Amino acid sequence: MIGILSYIVFFTTVASILAIAVLGLNLQWGNTGLFNGGVVAFFGAGAYGTLLLGGTPQPDHIAGFELFYPIALIGGMAVAGILAWLVGILTLKMRHDYLAISTFGVAVAFENLMRNAEWLGGGAKGLRGFERPFRESLGDGFLYNLIFLIVVLLCLLGTYRFLETLVSSPFGRQLRAIREDEKAARSLGKSPARIRLTAFVTGSVIMGLAGGLYGTFYAFVSPQDVLPTLTFQIWAMLIVGGAGNNKGAVLGAFLIWAAWTFSGWALSRFAPVEAQLYTGSIQYVLIGLVIVTMLLWRPQGLLPERLVVSQSGLS
Amino acid sequence: MKKKKGRFALKLGAAICLTLFASNSISHACTIKVGAVLPTSVDWGRPIAETAQFVVDQVNESGGVSGCNIEMILRDTQVDPKVGVDAAKALVDLDGVQLLLGAVSSGVSMPILTSVSVPSNVMQMSCCSSSTAFTKLAEEGKTEGLWYRTFATTGVQAAVGAKVAKDRGFKTVAILYKNDDWGQDLNRLIARDFTALGIKVTSAVAINDGQPSYKAEVTNALSGNPDALYLGLYPNEGTAAVREWLSLGGTQNMIMANSLKSEDFRENVGLQYLGSAFGTDTASPRVASADAFVELYKSHFGKEPSGPGLANSYDAAMIALLAMEAAGKGATGDQIAAQVSRVTDSGGTPITADATGFKAARAILAGGGNVMYQGATGNVRFDKNGDVSAPAVVWKFIDGGTKEIEYLSLTEVDEFIASLN
Repeated sequence: MIGILSYIVFFTTVASILAIAVLGLNLQWGNTGLFNGGVVAFFGAGAYGTLLLGGTPQPDHIAGFELFYPIALIGGMAVAGILAWLVGILTLKMRHDYLAISTFGVAVAFENLMRNAEWLGGGAKGLRGFERPFRESLGDGFLYNLIFLIVVLLCLLGTYRFLETLVSSPFGRQLRAIREDEKAARSLGKSPARIRLTAFVTGSVIMGLAGGLYGTFYAFVSPQDVLPTLTFQIWAMLIVGGAGNNKGAVLGAFLIWAAWTFSGWALSRFAPVEAQLYTGSIQYVLIGLVIVTMLLWRPQGLLPERLVVSQSGLS
Repeated sequence: MKKKKGRFALKLGAAICLTLFASNSISHACTIKVGAVLPTSVDWGRPIAETAQFVVDQVNESGGVSGCNIEMILRDTQVDPKVGVDAAKALVDLDGVQLLLGAVSSGVSMPILTSVSVPSNVMQMSCCSSSTAFTKLAEEGKTEGLWYRTFATTGVQAAVGAKVAKDRGFKTVAILYKNDDWGQDLNRLIARDFTALGIKVTSAVAINDGQPSYKAEVTNALSGNPDALYLGLYPNEGTAAVREWLSLGGTQNMIMANSLKSEDFRENVGLQYLGSAFGTDTASPRVASADAFVELYKSHFGKEPSGPGLANSYDAAMIALLAMEAAGKGATGDQIAAQVSRVTDSGGTPITADATGFKAARAILAGGGNVMYQGATGNVRFDKNGDVSAPAVVWKFIDGGTKEIEYLSLTEVDEFIASLN
């Protein structure tokens, strides 16, 4: 019984962390229409940033500033934000697929940098030496995971509230205006370039928060964590959940991650022993099927965006 | 592609039929679950899992562990750390396993170890993770003795390379290494070993994959005018770099890692330039147990165990289950891990790596004795960090293949490595 509870806590933690990243992407794609194909770079920047700032000193690479954990986490988000700002001023002039390709390139470059720059993040063998905060007093077991889950849920709730407020504010209307018709927005005196950059950086900082929590949870990050698969997973979550709807983004994250893990569990449990070897491949097919079915059956997502007239009182 | 799919469907169909018809010939009163977290969705990962399952089948055939049937629950990692950790967590929490076999990639094994195995006090035995980061973690005491691997670290390869340089009387060496985790580890280790032997490393240059020219890197390596060149490279980049090296007047004294043991490299560089190039490799042990494994594997699977990590996977599963037997019924992960030294004791009774051996071991262990496991990779012995060593060979290219120059047994390798530290 305690085992099931322990696993549920673990699952919810990972799903919530991914949900935060999906919320970040929702601000960029769902609300502003920015096709970020390099989610994993900002996620990774947050993870590496947090672990570098909060870790213990290591002989073979920089790191180990041993900052107080919340400061390290904020530092990780700042690293993601700075990266997004640099990428943003270079690439946000581009539209749609061009932006997607260039951000994808940034993510691949980021992975290669981390794989090769041994002095920076430990190279291909990964970044070690991070101690999970408050581990001494809470131990390593169930209690720690439970408290960490509460922290992650608070972060998720905070991000959700922040984005809900943001998109219903005048700034949120600007985002949608730019997404729908940039020329019209400019004719009203708005500055699309500045607003797009703000949305891009904000979304990336949120992804950085997710990355920072992810790195903290595993107390380890390696280039294998920042492969393009993660970008794909996060996109799948947003599309299934419903782009433009924050509730949908969170729902999509939980559903897709549940499908991803539950299919593996169910196959290992119910497939016959001799077929066990092929369950990995079967699982890929199943996940693909779920996503394709969703796209055919409900392309707008489970919880589609609700378009509202936000200032009806003025008419 | 189509053909492959057809074969897959056939195998799957056959597998399902087999299960329907095969009755459980041996029935045990109870079942002990063990977890395996391996990349079964990758082509080379599947045989590794198959080999582990083969071990489990043999152990069950010999009467199981503590009188119970072993059930190996296999989960795919997709070579994704998130997926692998989730699978491991589910195995530990939902199925209550005390033993995890896996993973293959170091980047997956590491988070499983730090966030599942150690916190949940579960023993983890990997067949194939090579990163030196595990050794460091163990030295810091953070694996809590729960971690073992049957894959020899890059240390053996590096030490033997340094031995070649010493035997040939080289005083200065330049290093070219592949820029990945293997190459980075190898470079650091061999530079340390050279220094320990009083050989000066004039320069160590990283070689990135797929560059059209390596002139800049090679010029850099040449600048110290070294006696010899050490090559920790793969054939493609190795060929390009060595060609440039020779054309710029570099020495033909070369030491090569096992990755260059390839036809392509020999053909494309030209045998006439490789007369004084020596290679190193970890070797299958020259012991009967290794040959016995090959025979056993062939008789079961009908093919040679030629993929990566098969012998290692076999030993990983067998040793872990032996330790489980030694620990007795209801043992927790740390209790099982503590028994590994009892089943790999060089002073113990030798046992073979099959059902008969397991049966023999059961009797000896029950009587309080220790056993020496003689497995597919030889007489496996772990050091205090859970690492193993391996025998090694020195080889060189000849017309139509390679020739072995020198064989170093496990004891010789261990002694040489000890003399370096």
